Amino acid sequence: MNCSASAGQDSVSGATLLNPSTTGKEETVKCQFVTREGTYKLFKGDNCRTTVVGYTPQTNTPVKCSFSGDLICFNAAKELYVCNYKGIKNATDLNNPIDKRSYKGLYPTCHDFNVFADNVHLLVGLSAGQIQLMDPIKKEFCKLYNEERVIDKTKVTCIKWVPGSMNLFLVSHSSGQLYVYKEDLPCGSTTPHYQLFKQGEGFAIYTCKTKSTRNPLYRWVIGEGSINEIAFSPCSKYLATVSQDGFLRVFNYDTMELVGRVRSYFGGLLCICWSPDSKFVVVGGEDDLVTVWSLQEKRVIARGQGHKSWVNVVAFDPYTTTVRDAVDSANEAFGEESETPATRSENISHSLNDSNHLQHHSSTSSSSTIPSLNRNHCGSPSIEFNNHSTHLTCNTVNKSPIINSSRNSPSSIITSYRFGSVGQDTQLCLWELTEDIIKQPVGRSRTSILLHSPTNGSQHPLNSSSSHVSSSAQQSAYCSNLTSTDKCHNTLLPSQTGNCLPNNCNYLDPDVYTDHTTNTISSSTSSTGNNSFTNKHGQTRKEHKKNFSLASRNSDKNSLNKASHSKLNDDPIKLLGTSICPRLDEVPLLEPLICKKIAHERLTALVFKEDFFVTACQEGYIFTWVRPNKWENMQIAPSPIPSIDEEAALVDDNESTVV
Amino acid sequence: MGGNISQLEKELNCESLTVNEHYFGLVNFGNSCYCNSVLQALYFCRPFRQKVLEYKAKNKRVSQNKETLLTCLADLYHHIATQKKKTGTVAPKKFIARLKKENVVFDNFLQQDAHEFFNYLLNTIADLLAAEKSGNQTGPTDNNGKNNSDSNRTWIQDIFQGTLTNETRCLNCESLSSKDEDFLDLSVEIQQNTSITHCLRVFSNTETLSSEHKYYCENCCSKQEAQKRMRIKKLPMILALHLKRFKYMESQNRHTKISYRVVFPLELRLFNKASNKGGDDKLYDLVAVVIHCGPGPNRGHYITIVKSFGFWLLFDDEMVEKMDVSSIEDFYGITSDTQKSSESCYILLYQARESMLSS
Repeated sequence: MNCSASAGQDSVSGATLLNPSTTGKEETVKCQFVTREGTYKLFKGDNCRTTVVGYTPQTNTPVKCSFSGDLICFNAAKELYVCNYKGIKNATDLNNPIDKRSYKGLYPTCHDFNVFADNVHLLVGLSAGQIQLMDPIKKEFCKLYNEERVIDKTKVTCIKWVPGSMNLFLVSHSSGQLYVYKEDLPCGSTTPHYQLFKQGEGFAIYTCKTKSTRNPLYRWVIGEGSINEIAFSPCSKYLATVSQDGFLRVFNYDTMELVGRVRSYFGGLLCICWSPDSKFVVVGGEDDLVTVWSLQEKRVIARGQGHKSWVNVVAFDPYTTTVRDAVDSANEAFGEESETPATRSENISHSLNDSNHLQHHSSTSSSSTIPSLNRNHCGSPSIEFNNHSTHLTCNTVNKSPIINSSRNSPSSIITSYRFGSVGQDTQLCLWELTEDIIKQPVGRSRTSILLHSPTNGSQHPLNSSSSHVSSSAQQSAYCSNLTSTDKCHNTLLPSQTGNCLPNNCNYLDPDVYTDHTTNTISSSTSSTGNNSFTNKHGQTRKEHKKNFSLASRNSDKNSLNKASHSKLNDDPIKLLGTSICPRLDEVPLLEPLICKKIAHERLTALVFKEDFFVTACQEGYIFTWVRPNKWENMQIAPSPIPSIDEEAALVDDNESTVV
Repeated sequence: MGGNISQLEKELNCESLTVNEHYFGLVNFGNSCYCNSVLQALYFCRPFRQKVLEYKAKNKRVSQNKETLLTCLADLYHHIATQKKKTGTVAPKKFIARLKKENVVFDNFLQQDAHEFFNYLLNTIADLLAAEKSGNQTGPTDNNGKNNSDSNRTWIQDIFQGTLTNETRCLNCESLSSKDEDFLDLSVEIQQNTSITHCLRVFSNTETLSSEHKYYCENCCSKQEAQKRMRIKKLPMILALHLKRFKYMESQNRHTKISYRVVFPLELRLFNKASNKGGDDKLYDLVAVVIHCGPGPNRGHYITIVKSFGFWLLFDDEMVEKMDVSSIEDFYGITSDTQKSSESCYILLYQARESMLSS
């Protein structure tokens, strides 16, 4: 039982031990942890545990969280809660929900707020296949879809509003089917008859064959086995799905064409997230890995190994994504203890707006308004996270938070992405996708392990020969390629989105990185007029394509074409060693920046917000973690022991028998 | 019972009309579920069953062979495989009787360890086959000196045997020495809230030999600090993983059950290969799981789930039920440490996948 996590024992200063009796034997549950930007601490203000009726650890519904403004929605066992959630501004009592629903004989599995509606429109997917639409504030209406279960009898696995739409939503099921619903259409009482509409490798799309239009509008049959999660790209152009068959599939949503695929190393893929600029997709699954796929290059560019079990959630953290521009200012706000003094001064995390959640796209259904897809940014390094600008002016800048305290490069590109993952191992991992990984030439076999945050050397004895890539060297190497000198500007939002508060829409235009640099995609989209914003915005930003190494674009394109023409290609044995599923030593294997056990039960949710991030675990606990610079400003004194001490005590008793 | 069986048959009939497969429960002869569960799991390891049935066919021609555990097993599998009905029950009476006769450990009505039985069964069959082989080829007494591993290789080794390599690197002279070791199954230490993948990976973690554990380096001719790790050199066709759920507790002077939740994917690759040269990078599919239910090694029950033609079945002695694949998560184990009793995976059988379009 020597379960020493490699990265789990680094310089955590003053970590609270919840299990003194098992110290040194079991890994302790952390209440705080240090990254180079400072100390993250568990927020004590919340009454973070809900009283879950009938909860047993064996209950197999993951607790998920949805946010809309100051509202949080989460499901726990057979109940659904909607609460006011002020983050760290005010303690939240999750035991006093605005709305609480208990279900009988079934349970809620997933939910999604429509942040574009004037009212709160909350969709809830249920375990028996039905979908509820409700307004938990006004409690005005509650519609039920698939009530007779004639459309699909299986569990709803994920539900998402179509970005920018007031009335379209997607529902995925464990049957491996995805349906497009329109809010105001009836569902019908008999099994729908479908007609093949479009077909491609590993998927088929059907329309509903009826006299009058009714739900579902479309049925997508994707892969084999359950569709576990779906995600629209922040630019809203792409839809990505992960399935139990181990495939990530990325579609152009409007043209319904398959843009790219990834096969897990093995086992099902469970979760998915897009980078804030829609350039990368990260997936996690039953291979205990996180896998990073580049939309532009159509290949897996890295994997991350750190979890000890399946990865339940991956999420980009747009607020600590490191960017660089001409602004020269040292930022001492993060002068905390750092795990990695060597790299500490290089990357200063910064804010983007909350854009890694898909439903924030701001076009309207009438499509008369072309949203400006610019990035929000505050040029100052004061960590004043700025947001919610509602101007309608159009700036040419699409890049944002750009700060580098140690280097004045004349550019403004994201040099490093931060994402997090939580898993069944009760651990949180933070990962960094750095420039050297992003820009690595294709086909180069990598056998070394990149240690982004060199922890205790002794913990990785066999890696002693692995190269720690000096990021400063890498940076200078790439700086010469950069021409953009854009300053930072606030994001512009169409005025109608002004009321959706923190979840405002700020997007990078992915087309800059895709259509205008690779022919593959643009050819597939040119046939439709749906992506009008593509061209309008892409033109002004062409210079950004220089930021990318396009070394193997041609070969990738060929392989993609080949793939789409041949019939086989679902065989994971054949796919191993291709860009869809590279061998382990063919792409960089990342180690987590940090890897902490933060709960007693498996973790099921992870949402990054401006001042904090939220995790949830199977037992129904919701945890708020305060970001480093936010902590100092808070009124409430941090308590070393969070409000889970009752539980900790419980565990103390029992874990003593564990050796 | 009859109702249940016809129900299963009904379900099977609408799912897979053409499949000629038999799903027969095994009668329990007083705590013989450890045996039943392993026999069922192995029956649904197609390569194993095939070899056993081939043995039976061969034996028929020779006839008048003396009864061994293998002949009893062959008779039992043959009996199941040649049933007219698709479902029903069979009494493995002869096999159990033989087992008790051959090994005093099993000659009682106590609950036995399924993994111990699994091990015993495979080794006994291998020995019997090897003996027959040497008996056929050379004289009965003339096998000394020729007793290398090749001549003793039987289809048990072909199916289950893999090779571990024990690599030791001397930290003084950097010389690497490695020693190979064959295995028929891997016994894996488990941790709470981990995956079997992780447990297997830990198994290959590097360990530094220092102070009193220093390693004698033949190159340096002295004791030196060294790094040691175990890696898998050759992957077996069927990977049998045994989860070490029964731990001896000195304080209690007995074995207790560790019910840790250990998830296992339906598809598996190993991370701890000695080299990642292509070709031998096997992708495994889960085909059977032996599950221990209950509080401890001597109290409890064994059941088995198997995958057959794309669907999953649960075998609980004479009961056979179809089950949904999503129910597998009930057998991962439990996260609560208060509760010792659990229905948790104990032996996992993964079968290497053939390429769908192997050319």
